[in-house]
Amino acid sequence: MELIERYLQAVKFWLPRRQRNDIIAELSADIYAQIEEREAELGRKLAEPEVEALLKQRGHPLLVANRFQPQGYLIGPGFFPVYCFVLKIVALCYLIPWLLVWIGLMTFSPVYRAEQTHSSWFAALGSMWASFFGTAFVVVGMLTIGFAILERMQDRIHFFDRWSPSKLPLVRDPHLIPRASSSVELAVNLLFFAWLAVYCHSTEVLIGSTVRISLDSVWLWFFSGYLLLALGNAVLAANKLMHPFWTKRQAAWRLLTDAAGAVLFCLLMKANILAGIAISGVPPEKTLTIAHAINHWMDTLFPASIAVGLVILAVNIYRILRLQSEPEPLSA
Amino acid sequence: MNPESFENLRLELRRGCLVLAVLAALRREQYGYTLRKTLAEHGLEIDEGTLYPLLRRLESQGLLSSEWREEEKRKKRFYLLSSEGAIVLDQLLAEWRSIDSSIHQVLKEQAHGTD
Repeated sequence: MELIERYLQAVKFWLPRRQRNDIIAELSADIYAQIEEREAELGRKLAEPEVEALLKQRGHPLLVANRFQPQGYLIGPGFFPVYCFVLKIVALCYLIPWLLVWIGLMTFSPVYRAEQTHSSWFAALGSMWASFFGTAFVVVGMLTIGFAILERMQDRIHFFDRWSPSKLPLVRDPHLIPRASSSVELAVNLLFFAWLAVYCHSTEVLIGSTVRISLDSVWLWFFSGYLLLALGNAVLAANKLMHPFWTKRQAAWRLLTDAAGAVLFCLLMKANILAGIAISGVPPEKTLTIAHAINHWMDTLFPASIAVGLVILAVNIYRILRLQSEPEPLSA
Repeated sequence: MNPESFENLRLELRRGCLVLAVLAALRREQYGYTLRKTLAEHGLEIDEGTLYPLLRRLESQGLLSSEWREEEKRKKRFYLLSSEGAIVLDQLLAEWRSIDSSIHQVLKEQAHGTD
């Protein structure tokens, strides 16, 4: 019956230390009683495969031992949904953008790409993975430790007892567009429109009496584009003020203006828009260096602007899909 | 209905009843294996992985008492309902009958409603 002893030894390893011998003695008595009864029925000794089948039927030693252990968990059922929610937020707001920026830099920044792939693409991927995994590991680890501490402190802080229905968030209508945000949007776009029209209508922009910024001639195209965009956004904001509910048409217009804004912004980042800066009292060679530096940084931030643009478009597309899957409000 | 879902519901329903059945069966002293057989003979199959931890829990709650004894050349642990266990068993049986009666009432009312 060596198999039985091996089985009992495997179970014993995982049992709570203080009860170990007692449980094993009882389990052993149960197994031998079952075997004796079976042998009495058959009128012969059980063969080894039969004993093996019998033990297998009882379950994996770890599972058998676990049933004698007190139920334990790192993060309990109360906090677990919150933990998952926070992990998703971290993934969405930190890890995924981190990955997108890396992809953007590798795609659009030759300098960064050359730095990363100086030995090979394989090494670049390895280095990215090591860095990404390291960041993810630390973030997830810190969150897990935080929630595990919260779980242990639950008895003292009474988190789930200290609440009041009156302090719960107000009922939110996902279709509602708050009038305050539409008002701000309208004001900002009108101000932007006026500022563009008054101060930025040519390639020479004056800031006070001491700074003169010279822009590349391509600016006039951007000027017209931004002027139209600000006007369009102001009209949309005014419409939202009058009809404060998202409709498919409103969402489609918003997608269109946001897409146009994102494309304009990304093109602006690549346009080497600053031709020169003149500041009274500052030598021209120094201001030229500043202009070049600004152009360089705009160029470097181009991948990030694409990532931001994609996020904005994704939010818009999500809004349209949500409107398609849910009925539009009657009050729209 | 998915057979697995039904099985889960069935096990959930039986889980609470098993405590009642174990306490009731242990009004007569028995050791684990014979207790398992007694329950199985009455249609209440219970695997050893569930029974032994349950017996320990009930004993730690003072509802059962146990002692190791030798029988047929083998040491066995015999369990018996304690006096506190007998009181709890009566209370649980009353509760069980009350649930049974309530369910019957609900079913009867609904049967009348559909007539």
